[in-house]
Amino acid sequence: MTVTDVLVCALGAVSLGAALRVVTSKHLVRAGLWLVVALGSLAGVYLVLTAELLAWVQVLIYVGAVVVLMLFAVMLTRAPIGPSDDLDRAKVPGVLIGGGAGLGLAAVLVDAYRWREVGLSDVEPGDAGAMGREVFTSWVLPFELLSVLLLAALIGAIVVSRPDVGQRSR
Amino acid sequence: MNDIQLPAIDYAALLPMLIVFGAACVGILVEAFAPRGWRFVIQVSLTIGGLVAGLVAIIVNRDLEITTIGGAVTVDGPGLFLQGAIIILGIVSLGLIAERRLERGGPFVAEAAHAANSDGDKRQEREPGATEVFPLTLFAIAGMMLFCVSGDLLTMFVALEVFSLPLYLLCGLARRRRLISQEAALKYFLLGAFASAFFLYGVALLYGYAGTVSLTGIREGVLQSEQSGILLAAGLALLAIGLLFKAAAVPFHVWTPDVYQGAPTPVTALMAACTKAAAFGGLLRVFNVAFETTAWDWQPVLATVAILTMVVGSILAVAQTDIKRLLAYSSVANAGYLLVGVVSLNGAVGSSLFYLIAYGFSVLGAFAMVTLVRDSEGEATHLSRWAGLGKGSPLFSALFTFLMLGFAGIPLTSGFTSKFALFSSAWDSDQSVLVIVGVLSSVVLAFPYLKVVVLLWLNPPGEETPTVSVPSMLTRAVIFAGVAVTFVLGVAPSFLLDIVADAGPFLAK
Repeated sequence: MTVTDVLVCALGAVSLGAALRVVTSKHLVRAGLWLVVALGSLAGVYLVLTAELLAWVQVLIYVGAVVVLMLFAVMLTRAPIGPSDDLDRAKVPGVLIGGGAGLGLAAVLVDAYRWREVGLSDVEPGDAGAMGREVFTSWVLPFELLSVLLLAALIGAIVVSRPDVGQRSR
Repeated sequence: MNDIQLPAIDYAALLPMLIVFGAACVGILVEAFAPRGWRFVIQVSLTIGGLVAGLVAIIVNRDLEITTIGGAVTVDGPGLFLQGAIIILGIVSLGLIAERRLERGGPFVAEAAHAANSDGDKRQEREPGATEVFPLTLFAIAGMMLFCVSGDLLTMFVALEVFSLPLYLLCGLARRRRLISQEAALKYFLLGAFASAFFLYGVALLYGYAGTVSLTGIREGVLQSEQSGILLAAGLALLAIGLLFKAAAVPFHVWTPDVYQGAPTPVTALMAACTKAAAFGGLLRVFNVAFETTAWDWQPVLATVAILTMVVGSILAVAQTDIKRLLAYSSVANAGYLLVGVVSLNGAVGSSLFYLIAYGFSVLGAFAMVTLVRDSEGEATHLSRWAGLGKGSPLFSALFTFLMLGFAGIPLTSGFTSKFALFSSAWDSDQSVLVIVGVLSSVVLAFPYLKVVVLLWLNPPGEETPTVSVPSMLTRAVIFAGVAVTFVLGVAPSFLLDIVADAGPFLAK
């Protein structure tokens, strides 16, 4: 067992436990904060596996933006303090689907890779330079296309949310 | 640091998509700067102009066969044909989207943000509809065009999102019956996001298997990879779920009836014709290019899905009482017939392409006619309201009867020739079980169509039979195109069959 193995296992266990708390916690805000732990430790796993940039992106986007957005949504809509007992969470199907999907994917991956080892020194570190080179060489078309997607999303958001589109000035 | 080298880009190959994306971006600028009164006219002419220019670029490119921009785009015969089909069907459905005579202000809502049935919602009833729908439609069409020629799974995923997102939005913009329109948009969005996640996970597993996401790379990886085959199988399964969702195959079809019913009818027509072409273009490319060499593994599974789709689609179509839901289930059943073409691999690529054009035009014509039957509440889509329309509006009923007979596959319509071409090429590819199920299910499927015909001509009119409105030239042109193509492809299909035969197989190098 190297340090890397220990770190990956420990961070993975933290991530899994926190994710379980996200779906079992009765406090909406706490569920959101557990999500920070889950996503944060996943970022730690990325970091250990030398995917530097991905780890920071994970922190910035998921921990920084998505969770904050969710907490804002909770605050602006219901702002519950204390446990919410009316959460509509189907237990049995949830356990079946979540557990089944998790175990199934774990079985697939474990069976596929067995005990194969890839040395950390054999892989190119995923730093910003490497990522930038890939984005502007192999993946330049999908990358440019994403800007089109964002533009379409922006226009769509305006259409569905602005109340005075198409209205004459009164 | 100057070691970044752009991959070689063949701009001629990308030109059709660049034109349509460019027209969409100009359309957004028009929204920002053109005076309100002019926007509609400018947008309609810009959209049609952009699509026609794109079509011209495709025709100029017709013999091109090239993989460009680092393997992200593979332009080949079937890809160009699909792009052309999507553009032509898009131009035709634009006639419905731009129709403003049937209803004051057009089929789209002016201000989507108002809650359904609120005061604001009532106030805006006579406002002209939002003109942002035109750039959104262009984005969707350009995304579909790219989807059909993507050379790797990542580009395919981004293209999938580019065409899905505008469609989710357009579904929620119906002028009448806002509530089910919003429900349709939300349902489509959530299930679509779910399917996208499946697609991405499949891509990740396939990358783990082959070490690349390019379709040709996976094809080679299948022969050389030292990874366990279970990664390939799991990746392929998840990827296929994402694609089959868009194609509305059973058991991933549950969104279809609700979305087809709730969306504005012009958007439903666009989805039934263009999205179907794009989804099957993607399916055909993925299975023919990346997974042809593993066909023995997945063919039985996909054949089961095809059988389920044909049987469930046609049986549930029988029970429908709403014309839009009926056409939705018929679209599910037709997805099953097209899956027969996918399972038959290279032998049936040409006839699948032919089927997409034939079905696309018929379904556009049918939905165009659905928009005409109206009462004070908007479109009267419940079938009981259609009883006895033949007495008051014989021309309408005759044309609709013709389209229904076309769907049912009566000779002298494109429904017959396209099914015949598809099933005979599938038979030659040794898919006899699928062909038998297909023929039997199309017999079942003929029943709901004939039910509509009987309803139109033989049933006595109800107390409040809706009227058949007189549309503008645009919708007339769409109906004419739908009926004419259904007839011409039924009588003289050889012209188009030659074109699809010339398109050849997918480029798999």
